[in-house]
Amino acid sequence: MVNQFRTHIVEITKYRDVLVQLVRQQLILRYRRTALGYLWTLVNPLLMMSVMVIVFSTLFKVEMKTFAVFLLAGMIPWNFINAVTSQSAVAFIHNEGLIKKIYLPKLIFPLSIALALFIDSMLSFFALFAIILLIGGSLSWTLLFIPIAYVILFFFALGIGLITSVATVFFRDLQYVITIAMQGLFYLTPILYKKTALAGKITWIVDLNPVVPFIELFRAPLYGGALPEHSVIIQAVLISFFAMLIGFSIFAWQEKKIVYRL
Amino acid sequence: MHGKKRRLCTGSDKPMSSIRVDNLSIKFRLYHDRSPSLKDYFANLIRRNSQSAFSDFWAIRDVTFSLEAGDRVAIVGHNGAGKSTLLKALCRVYETSYGTVAASGRIAPLLEIGAGFHPEFTGRENIYLNGAILGYSKEQLRKIEPEVVAFAELEEFIDTPVKYYSTGMYMRLAFSLATAIHPDILILDEIFAGGDAAFKLKARQRMHDLIDKSDIMIMVSHDENLIKSFCNRVIWLDHGRLVADGPVDAVIDQYLMGRPNA
Repeated sequence: MVNQFRTHIVEITKYRDVLVQLVRQQLILRYRRTALGYLWTLVNPLLMMSVMVIVFSTLFKVEMKTFAVFLLAGMIPWNFINAVTSQSAVAFIHNEGLIKKIYLPKLIFPLSIALALFIDSMLSFFALFAIILLIGGSLSWTLLFIPIAYVILFFFALGIGLITSVATVFFRDLQYVITIAMQGLFYLTPILYKKTALAGKITWIVDLNPVVPFIELFRAPLYGGALPEHSVIIQAVLISFFAMLIGFSIFAWQEKKIVYRL
Repeated sequence: MHGKKRRLCTGSDKPMSSIRVDNLSIKFRLYHDRSPSLKDYFANLIRRNSQSAFSDFWAIRDVTFSLEAGDRVAIVGHNGAGKSTLLKALCRVYETSYGTVAASGRIAPLLEIGAGFHPEFTGRENIYLNGAILGYSKEQLRKIEPEVVAFAELEEFIDTPVKYYSTGMYMRLAFSLATAIHPDILILDEIFAGGDAAFKLKARQRMHDLIDKSDIMIMVSHDENLIKSFCNRVIWLDHGRLVADGPVDAVIDQYLMGRPNA
């Protein structure tokens, strides 16, 4: 397993030029020929979140400012996880033409998607962070934890992305199932609400939700001005590790069959 | 370096290229109506004895041969004999079901030129994107870029997205790029066409050059004259099996008569 992992890493380093090109391609294509170009990375989540802030702060009768910071901090990791999960689902399917004509290490496709979205997410983080400061968030040294949080988050999302990328090749229906499942998961994740506000029969589902620690990883420094609790960090690292372990195992197991099933 | 055999004809420092194919078999799974859905999968798990939704098809069956530097091989056979599948197996696009393919030397897979071109990207961007996919390094690409553009006669349009190119322009760029660097092993699937008469002439010259400088050339062709002028060996495939392998005249004659010498 470790050996296999090393072989794949070595191969990806050999093909790093292709990886860079694929990441560049995704970043460029997303905004080419739009008037605002890269600014959409910033404007898009802002507009969406403004809508949510206005709607939900009225609905929940909470103060808008605090709620905005609360929501934005939770949306950053969620948006990343959601995008990687659903875009990875078509990682191989959309590159069928290429995969059937020329040899490239298969890992390069889900990896390039995760990397491109990672860059996207960091860009929008800066914009959201500016907003948080503007509406009265506070700068604190705990923000230094954000890069670490991003690294843990990246491997979690990549692991999940590997699973969805391989699974959809074999079961095409999953593309649609994933979209719906992610919508459901959004409401089962304490992004719009505080976990402590939840009472009743579904608490245990939220307790089992693997995304929860990753939300906390970002929310603690951005909203609470504190480092996440140790237990949360350990949970997140463990979940990340297992997501990668499972994701990579499934990928390595089915890798050679992908070309025959596209 | 370590007493490896050197190429005698050119005095080059490179070790000799070679390809060994041992008992190669490639199996395709044909799904009768469509890709199996999740529902079918679970349904089949429950009723084990139900009629299976697919059948296996051997595109290549127990093929063995080896090629050395200096070999110029044509693969002949009827449609569906497994010629293209064999070429793709040599390029690692298809993983082997049984047996092995071992190659040393840089392989240029000129199977479908233009694979990996992105319509939204300009010609120049596609040189770098497709070039990386073809295995050229960034330095190599920077060096060959002017020559590729000049050969394709696209100086004026090189910064236009390729989706606005005519078919001829697209072909010229793809061809010029794919043939810009001399590979050790050249794998061709009938690409002697494209462009207007003047370009065809130029392209043919470039192709000859590429073949001359390669260690090993393998092509699929139905053109007897082409085979006779380029090749010194012919492999005849029929229904995935190797029926004859030998000098051009002998095998071509057998092939045209429709039966191998016993």
